[in-house]
Amino acid sequence: MILELREIEKSFGEKKVLQGVSFYAESGKAFGLLGRNGAGKTTSIRILMDVFKADKGEVLIDGKPINHSALKIGYLPEERGLYPKKKIIDQLVYFAELNGMSSKQAVSSVDNWLSRLGMTEYRNKRLDTLSKGNQQKIQLITAIAHDPQIVILDEPFSGLDPVNARMLKSVVKNIISRDRIVLFSSHQMNYIEEFCDRIAIIDEGKVVLHGDLRDIKRAYVRDKLSVRAERTDIIRAAMPEMCSDGERGELIVRLPSPGDKKEVMEKLLSLCDIDEIKVYEPSLNDIFVEYTDKTSKEDSNEAI
Amino acid sequence: MKQFKTILKFELKSYFKNKTFIGITLFLVVAITLVMFFPRITALFDNDNDTAEQEKNGIMLIKPSTPESEELFCSAFSACFPDMEVKATFESDEQIKKAITENEAECAFVMTSLDSYTYYVNNLSIYDTRTATANEALTNIYQMSVMMSSGMSAEQAGQILSVQIESETVNLGKDHTENFFYTYIMIFALYMVILLYGQMVATSVATEKSSRAMELLITSARPTSMMFGKIFAACVAGLSQLVLVFGSAILFYKINEDYWGSNPLISSIFNMPVSLLVYMLIFFVLGFLIYAFLYGAIGSTASKLEDINTSVMPLSFMFIIAFMVVMTSMTSGDVSNMAIRICSYIPFTSPMAMFTRIAMSSVPIYEILISIAILAVSVVGIGIVSARIYRIGVVLYGTPPKPAAIIKALKNSK
Repeated sequence: MILELREIEKSFGEKKVLQGVSFYAESGKAFGLLGRNGAGKTTSIRILMDVFKADKGEVLIDGKPINHSALKIGYLPEERGLYPKKKIIDQLVYFAELNGMSSKQAVSSVDNWLSRLGMTEYRNKRLDTLSKGNQQKIQLITAIAHDPQIVILDEPFSGLDPVNARMLKSVVKNIISRDRIVLFSSHQMNYIEEFCDRIAIIDEGKVVLHGDLRDIKRAYVRDKLSVRAERTDIIRAAMPEMCSDGERGELIVRLPSPGDKKEVMEKLLSLCDIDEIKVYEPSLNDIFVEYTDKTSKEDSNEAI
Repeated sequence: MKQFKTILKFELKSYFKNKTFIGITLFLVVAITLVMFFPRITALFDNDNDTAEQEKNGIMLIKPSTPESEELFCSAFSACFPDMEVKATFESDEQIKKAITENEAECAFVMTSLDSYTYYVNNLSIYDTRTATANEALTNIYQMSVMMSSGMSAEQAGQILSVQIESETVNLGKDHTENFFYTYIMIFALYMVILLYGQMVATSVATEKSSRAMELLITSARPTSMMFGKIFAACVAGLSQLVLVFGSAILFYKINEDYWGSNPLISSIFNMPVSLLVYMLIFFVLGFLIYAFLYGAIGSTASKLEDINTSVMPLSFMFIIAFMVVMTSMTSGDVSNMAIRICSYIPFTSPMAMFTRIAMSSVPIYEILISIAILAVSVVGIGIVSARIYRIGVVLYGTPPKPAAIIKALKNSK
């Protein structure tokens, strides 16, 4: 199944929120929708979920206009919140029923998820008696209990401790493996890099980058080496004009041209004991900042 | 439709599981039960005293103007004040005053002549009608004595004075004294339920928004199902509360009917015509819906609970004004004045105004039908507009939009 947004435009009053947003996501793969705050991610998601209609453009499933009554979508909103004063089982069943399940199916599916996430003991408690992390897990169940074909997770990892984050990861991996479309929206780039094969970066209502993450990374000019070694000072002394510091304590060695890779690598090996040496690839973080931070764009323009 | 049912079920459940809702309903039912059993309970205690002589309240001193008139005054006052022990006295005024201030006697009539007296009492209660009663008796005595002195026999004079006028009233319309109380009770119930549940609907929508449960709701259900589910649930909850309270009142009245005897006030309430109950139901449901729709729409535009009170104020004021018009018309005794006539066709005021007119005067059936038709059409219209506002309102956060902005957004959404 392929979910495609094509040339979506949306304005609220005078403000153009989306100006021709297009991207597509495939089932069995996770898709990362990135953008700064206010870039238009939530509006895109809401149009996709039929909360409001687009001014122009269309949402397609396998090339045909989306039929919301026939398609189940699960949504974990960034702004979390359920009914604080109501029993957990009641509200989970309510949302599963609203999403098309019969009450019997809803109860069994919710109970199943509660036990999978280790939350069965809270089944008959009120939501506001739970810790924030546990409330997050309850909210996650509202997004997946009705077994949707498309799962939209907006900042799913925020507020989770490492153990819960690992549990969520395994749940997400399981959903992906069952041939569902998973759409991530997050600012935590490490999670996107871990899960997503494809990404789209939205900036000011336009898609500024869209495609396979590995291809995107490979498209960068491979003219830098990332080096880890005990005695980097020796390398710095030997080739001072080529060296700079990387973000994670590594040494970045800029090649005169990509073709010089082998020659420089051999030279480095001869200089001192090397732990690791590889072609430098930009992180998703670097790519994101490059595409969305205007001040850095201007800086790089000036540098050229 | 399935979503509407799911939402209706969920909202109803939350009403019927709400401790305040259960508490208030139970309290009302218990209070009604106590009131309805009151005569039976008092009858239980009265049984012991039935054989005992009626207790005299206190001593009433009578000082006749002349010694010969002692018997005349004493028998007349004894007849007028059966609850008092009437005693003749010839002591000085000072001593009589002393007797009263020292609580030996409760009050005293010091006659200066056949047609003048001084009334002494320690603390004059606002309910003290003894002088009025005495005046009446003394007028009779005076008139009798004058008639007798001009040669009439006591029987003749007595006949003239005690003449009874026979009369019969045939009411071709409605009896205001009889239906005033049940109209009052029903209008008040209508007023309370609409105002309370309207506020509850608005608060419930705003709570969903402020707790951000709305984020999930709007992506799971259609806003129209959400709004209608919520409002119909409130309507059913309000109606069932009314039925429970009034139902228990009727049930317990029937059980204790004998003990209530022929209390005209109570029997008028419980012998209300069935047709009126049907009108009550129609006006309750329509009136409830028209206000609840608006309360729901207003609730959807607020993003914080604190905003609710100020946002709903104009609507609540409109409703209170309608209530005032109806109540002043009712208490003035004229329920066919121009104000209430006009109000009985305006959809926001007609539920109360037309109902009052039906209950307390004779209204032609076509007028009732026109009023109901206008109301029903308005309910549908307001429902559609409110659902549109709701759709827009629920996704808006920040300061509540101004009415002009909502109208603009409504036009754009078409």
